[in-house]
Amino acid sequence: MRAVQFTLSRLLQGLALVLAVVVLNFVLVHAAPGDPVETIAGASGGMSEELKAALRVQYGLDKPLAAQLGVYLGKVAGGDLGYSYFFNLPVAGLIAERVPATLLLVITAVLGAFVIGTVLGVLSSRKPNGLLSQFINTLSLVGFAAPVFWTGIMLVILFASVLPIFPVSGMRAIDSAGASGFTDALDVLHHLVLPALTLGLVYLAQYSRLSRASMLDVLGSDFIRTARAKGLSNRVVLYKHALRNAVLPVVTILGLQFGNVMAGAILVETVFNWPGLGRLAFESVLRRDYPTILGVLLFSSIVVVVMNLLTDYCYRLIDPRIKTS
Amino acid sequence: MLTVKTPRRNAVAALFLLAAALAAPLSSTAQDSIKRGGTLVVGYPQAPRHLNGAVQSGVATAFPSTQLFASPLRFDDKWNPQPYLAEKWTLSDDGKSLTLNLRKGATFHDGKPITSADVAFSIMAIKANHPFQTMMGPVEKVDTPDAQTAIIRMGKPHPAIVLAMSPALCPILPKHVYGDGQDLKSHPRNSADVVGSGPFKLVEFKPGQRVVLERFEKFFLAGRPYLDRIVFDITPDASSLMLGFERGTMQMLPFVTIPSDLRRLADNPQVTLTPKGYEGIGPLNWLAFNLEKKPLADVRVRKAIAHAVDKNFVTKALMAGFSKPVDGPIVPSSPFAVTDLVRYPVDLKKAAALLDEAGFKPDANGERLKLTIDYVPGSDDQQKTVAEYVRAQLKKIGIAVEVRTSADLPAWAKRMAAHDFDLSMDIVFNWGDPIIGVHRTYLSSNIKPIVWTNTQSYVNPKVDELLDTAGSVLDPVKRKAYYATFQKIVTDDLPIHFLNVVPFHTAASKKLGNVPMTIWGPLSPYDEVYFK
Amino acid sequence: MKSTVPVERPWLEALRMFARNPSAIGGMVLLASVLAVALLGPWLMPADPFEIAAAPLTPPFSAEAWLGTDYLGRDVLTTLIHGGRATLLVGVVAALLSVVIGITLGAMAGYYGGRVDSALMRVTEFFQVLPALLFAMVVVTLFSPTLVTVTLAIGIVSWTGTARLTRAEFMKVRGLEFVRAERAIGARDARIIWKVILPNAFPPLVVSATLAVGAAILFEAGLSFLGLGDPNQMSWGLMIGSSRQYVLTSWWAVAFPGVAIFITVLAVSLIGDGLNDALNPKLRER
Repeated sequence: MRAVQFTLSRLLQGLALVLAVVVLNFVLVHAAPGDPVETIAGASGGMSEELKAALRVQYGLDKPLAAQLGVYLGKVAGGDLGYSYFFNLPVAGLIAERVPATLLLVITAVLGAFVIGTVLGVLSSRKPNGLLSQFINTLSLVGFAAPVFWTGIMLVILFASVLPIFPVSGMRAIDSAGASGFTDALDVLHHLVLPALTLGLVYLAQYSRLSRASMLDVLGSDFIRTARAKGLSNRVVLYKHALRNAVLPVVTILGLQFGNVMAGAILVETVFNWPGLGRLAFESVLRRDYPTILGVLLFSSIVVVVMNLLTDYCYRLIDPRIKTS
Repeated sequence: MLTVKTPRRNAVAALFLLAAALAAPLSSTAQDSIKRGGTLVVGYPQAPRHLNGAVQSGVATAFPSTQLFASPLRFDDKWNPQPYLAEKWTLSDDGKSLTLNLRKGATFHDGKPITSADVAFSIMAIKANHPFQTMMGPVEKVDTPDAQTAIIRMGKPHPAIVLAMSPALCPILPKHVYGDGQDLKSHPRNSADVVGSGPFKLVEFKPGQRVVLERFEKFFLAGRPYLDRIVFDITPDASSLMLGFERGTMQMLPFVTIPSDLRRLADNPQVTLTPKGYEGIGPLNWLAFNLEKKPLADVRVRKAIAHAVDKNFVTKALMAGFSKPVDGPIVPSSPFAVTDLVRYPVDLKKAAALLDEAGFKPDANGERLKLTIDYVPGSDDQQKTVAEYVRAQLKKIGIAVEVRTSADLPAWAKRMAAHDFDLSMDIVFNWGDPIIGVHRTYLSSNIKPIVWTNTQSYVNPKVDELLDTAGSVLDPVKRKAYYATFQKIVTDDLPIHFLNVVPFHTAASKKLGNVPMTIWGPLSPYDEVYFK
Repeated sequence: MKSTVPVERPWLEALRMFARNPSAIGGMVLLASVLAVALLGPWLMPADPFEIAAAPLTPPFSAEAWLGTDYLGRDVLTTLIHGGRATLLVGVVAALLSVVIGITLGAMAGYYGGRVDSALMRVTEFFQVLPALLFAMVVVTLFSPTLVTVTLAIGIVSWTGTARLTRAEFMKVRGLEFVRAERAIGARDARIIWKVILPNAFPPLVVSATLAVGAAILFEAGLSFLGLGDPNQMSWGLMIGSSRQYVLTSWWAVAFPGVAIFITVLAVSLIGDGLNDALNPKLRER
């Protein structure tokens, strides 16, 4: 019962959050200087005043802001995210088309970083002041301090000119339309390596540092000392008890991370021409394609809220001591 | 240097071709040896909004549109119209009607026949929707006495009408698809299930990513097209485009201007690099003055600025010799270009003297004037470099220039439309006939709050008269005379200082035959292109 | 057991620990060098970074241009020196802004608790759910990119971490003996917050603030790289972004500014780490 209540209340909170995000951005976009119709007019190479007026009516821009917002929210509730100013195609369709590419990139990068980062962190926690630990610590600082887009471009230089074993642009070979499932999957994987590596490096840094710190934390706590006193072997102590507790903060960060995932996606997808949501978002900002921008913001917020919920659940599963707050 | 290599290579190639053509008794033999097949991948950085060139101008849309849709006429590399959808065409003596005799048996991609009704519908649709208003301006209606004949009726003689029948400017749309009453500019069939009249039909349009086309087997020119497929790959980043091309994943890169890229391509023996194919587009790189602003309203100030710019430095040093200077509003490759123009060789002393004369003396710091300069973002090698150079040069004659960078094209376009600028770099196309791409910049009736109109606020009744006359007279000799006077006046009034022809090049793999090199170059159907 | 009585001179102790940490000292040295170059550099080498200095695409380690020139012929070394200013200015001010907002909101939430806490937590969650970079991009595009709009945009989306930390610290310290004593004698809220709790909550906040500078620098670099930074200010991110198209023929124009960003953020992170180690009581015991 408690769990259901918890879920419902969290879901409602999440919904309210997403709504707030949508409203804020809608108001911002429509109230700020810069008329979307002017931009479209510019992009078409010029437009007469009558045409612009007609467009304004068509997009509902002649109505008061509150009315526009109401109409928009109503449509969103029904799944209609409007039409892209630039392509004149449904925003929902544009987003749906790009989501799998970004999902693939992000999940690969984050999971890879999570696994490898945790392992590295645990390894370096065994001898916290040893050489290996210092090395891993420094390496992770490198991943964290170098701008992700720069790392990407450096990799592009390396694998474009020096060692051309990986493609540096796109998700598939260009003329691959209609390739069979397995060959296609291999092709995508081939293209995935560099972008996922670039994005993953940033998370790798964070996870290894975090898992190292929390392992050290836990290893020094009373709880572990008791376990050791009981005579359990070092290995058991380490892997069974400590790891479980140490993973908690990492999981929390994992959830919080998704708020920042969009940023990494935008930058990496731009560098590697990865056809995902991040690149769509960036290009839409450049084109002042507000319906698409709003759609991406909405979608991104929903994902973050869902991930937060999931993280909370995982947290509760891993640490049964946590009660609903 | 490098620029000598290419013309020579071209000349040699031309000689061989000539010899081959003379030697081969029948053209059909040459045709038999052309292999069918292959996928041509073309790389380009800008995404098309949709695929219908009848309602949208611009290069990005023109690529797929010229493959999907046929037009009444096409052009060769000597500005001569050639039959395409129309087998024959006749311009009446009074120049007020153009009769098109369409081929028999031509069909759309869905099998329905292409008739004069479709031609009439398309032309009126272009007139109503296309941003280039002067193109079909004088057209009043299109008569269709029978299914194979369309007669375009115009209110006054319109010498540009024949050129307006080009693939990039006059795509023939199926009336049975687009004539359903929906607004053509946002018609859903612009992006999906496109039914066209051209050599290729639509397989896939991924907005912002790629356009995939495949051969239309029942194309009205038998045996063509030779290619199986064409893919337009949208890659925003120039270095990725170069990489893709060098690696062979793309076989054609049109509209290349970046000097370092051009050098790399020119040095590559596997690559055909040609500046041919852009004569129709006629792209000019220029420095525009806003005549509404006080100091710039004085022609002496404008001339001083012109004298401060060394075009040879711009073309040889900044653009690595790949572009040529231009001194007037019409590209040298156009039949209407003349050489009798007012020129402004670099002369800093003269510039300073002109400024003195205009009453702008240097103050204690040597500064006479403050101006801002804008430029079109996205074409740094043509625009930003020159803007920075102009700044440095004008500093030498006491004009402090602030370079204003716009975040993106809409931001710059907004400034221009609002006439919120002092100086601005720009790239503007002639689009073949001056009526289409040149008049718009100098007519006083075209001073509007819209970008790429007469944003300079230039008014000269004599020029208005000349352009109107040149635009209504059919005789090319007479027209050239009027345009000659026009060019002389405009280069003397100097609302715009012309710098160079934008050095567009097409890079193609040596394996590609019949690389498009007519006056419209890459913006024409690729039905004759093949892989060797 | 851990001491709950506030250490009288925690700063001295922390400083000593910091001074003994080699990587922290390394960070200080690096940061000092970066600051020296950024502040003094433009004074010593007053060339205009936007000016065309030599032939475009000159490779580095040559006589005309020590670090080469970019595609426009601008000297990379000059742009590095001058670009540091914008990057550091935006980074520090934006971080400061985010820290001020974060501490204010977090302190109020942690101190007052109850409804105030709930409301402020909703606001914090909202800004956490908002995709930071995308939102900043929209704001900057709407209001036209300048140093001011970029700084504001970064500051507005980056404060949630600090807020949460401050709130946690305040909740921890609020319940302690000496604070309750202050309240018992009727001290005003403001005094308690400023004079009593905040000084004790400082250590993790200082660390957070330091790391916020690193994050803000990366954020600004990202925006400039995408072309959404102030285009009339030379910055490292802008250099990388504008030279990206020419990376195949001028890798140095992209590599060196990136190294500059990396060194700066590394320095700041090392210092932050050092501060963390120095001020963290748990590690002190080991």
